[in-house]
Amino acid sequence: MPLKAASPIASLETRFRSLFEQTPTIILYQDENSTILDANPAFLALVEQPKEQVLNRQYDEFLPAEVQPLFKARLAEAFTGKIVRFEMHTTQGGAAPRYWDVIKLPLFEHEKVVGVHMVARDITERILAQQEVLAQNSDLQQFTYIVSHNLRAPLATALGLANLLGREEPGSPYFEKTRTHLQASLHQLDLVLRDMNTILSIRDQEKRAETEALPLAEVVQQVVQNLQEVVDQCGGTVRVDIPANLLVRANRAYLYSIFFNLLSNALKYRTDERPLVVTVTAKGGQDQLTRMTVADNGSGFDQEQAGDDVFKLYKRFHPHYPGRGLGLYLVKTHVESMNGHISVHSRVGEGTRFSIVIP
Amino acid sequence: MDTLIIDDDPMAVFLTTRLLHHEGQPTDVITSFVSPVEAVAFLQQQVLTNSLPHVVLLDLNMPLLSGWGVLEALKPLEASLLGRCVFYILTSSLALTDVARAQQYPLVAGFLHKPLDGIEIQVMQARLLETRP
Repeated sequence: MPLKAASPIASLETRFRSLFEQTPTIILYQDENSTILDANPAFLALVEQPKEQVLNRQYDEFLPAEVQPLFKARLAEAFTGKIVRFEMHTTQGGAAPRYWDVIKLPLFEHEKVVGVHMVARDITERILAQQEVLAQNSDLQQFTYIVSHNLRAPLATALGLANLLGREEPGSPYFEKTRTHLQASLHQLDLVLRDMNTILSIRDQEKRAETEALPLAEVVQQVVQNLQEVVDQCGGTVRVDIPANLLVRANRAYLYSIFFNLLSNALKYRTDERPLVVTVTAKGGQDQLTRMTVADNGSGFDQEQAGDDVFKLYKRFHPHYPGRGLGLYLVKTHVESMNGHISVHSRVGEGTRFSIVIP
Repeated sequence: MDTLIIDDDPMAVFLTTRLLHHEGQPTDVITSFVSPVEAVAFLQQQVLTNSLPHVVLLDLNMPLLSGWGVLEALKPLEASLLGRCVFYILTSSLALTDVARAQQYPLVAGFLHKPLDGIEIQVMQARLLETRP
């Protein structure tokens, strides 16, 4: 039998060097003080610096302050001889923030940890896809809930009233009342269907809505003007304190809708105990975050009881007022489409303040 | 059958009241609240004066305090309510999770889907007669 040809396996050193140099995963070799002793090209490419400017520097220098303690703690853990793995959303060097799957692997020599390899894989795409699926799942759940509760409620009432109509004496006051209620519940049913249509089309369009730099003061003034009649009728005042030159990058219709809904709510939930005063303020803009507030001295609501539901669809907190629980849901959808955040602070008998922050 | 209706929708209250009337219930023994908070306060009061309704028809989806919230708020009174006052969930919800959840409350004797019909009222009346001859 002929001898087997020697297999062309390169030396260990060549193989591992090649792996280290070519993998898209970032690899660092660190000592106990977090000093970078070696960094692979993937890391150098990420932080956009040549190797000589990376070696012998603290890894902390490439990390934002808020994650430094965590990385330090995990490194120390690896130096006890454990393999440590965690996920992290962070910037590194000047690069944009990414999601990382980080593994810290201790290197042993004579049963002692002499250094730690950090292997970090970019899992941003996967995390974003996951988040999208989760968001869509929660949308679906919400719509199941709407169909089960809000769509069926007026339908069940209409069904009941239609049956009742057969038992009431035609021409009697009860017959007439039943008929009027039947009409009203069918009207409600139609409203819910229209709402669902509005919401679905907004969610669909919002992602590709045209945005422009808009003078915020002007948009808010327009809303105030359109509500002026109602404001005057109730003897209220709307104070607007927004710098004339403050520009906000947004879709005009959505920005209008945000302030229209918030001001309409302030008007609706005013208290008879004092004249309504609504204050709209904004500051920031340009390179800073824009902070906007809409504050009223109205009836307020019990925030503890309302909990996380304030901005949820068809959730309502004022039992004696008409309303469908759509307004604040739309406001939140609009704010979030601008990557903004909305929060609320309210006290029964004192008033309500909405704060919006947008980048 | 002294009945308490807790439902935030006045049309639903009207409907249930008329149905009870058509099943022979005098309307003066029917009390209703569109505010669940006020309904809880009412029940707390009625316990003290020993004048509880026989039957409570409780809606689930209400602002400020849901039907579940009402049941939770009445937990401390559960012992004094049991056997004296029977709760039926009366909801338009078709969610199976709601049915399962209702079974966790000893006060709740049944789960009814809106719209209520005459037969269901007759069953309630019959059960009441059985427990209180």
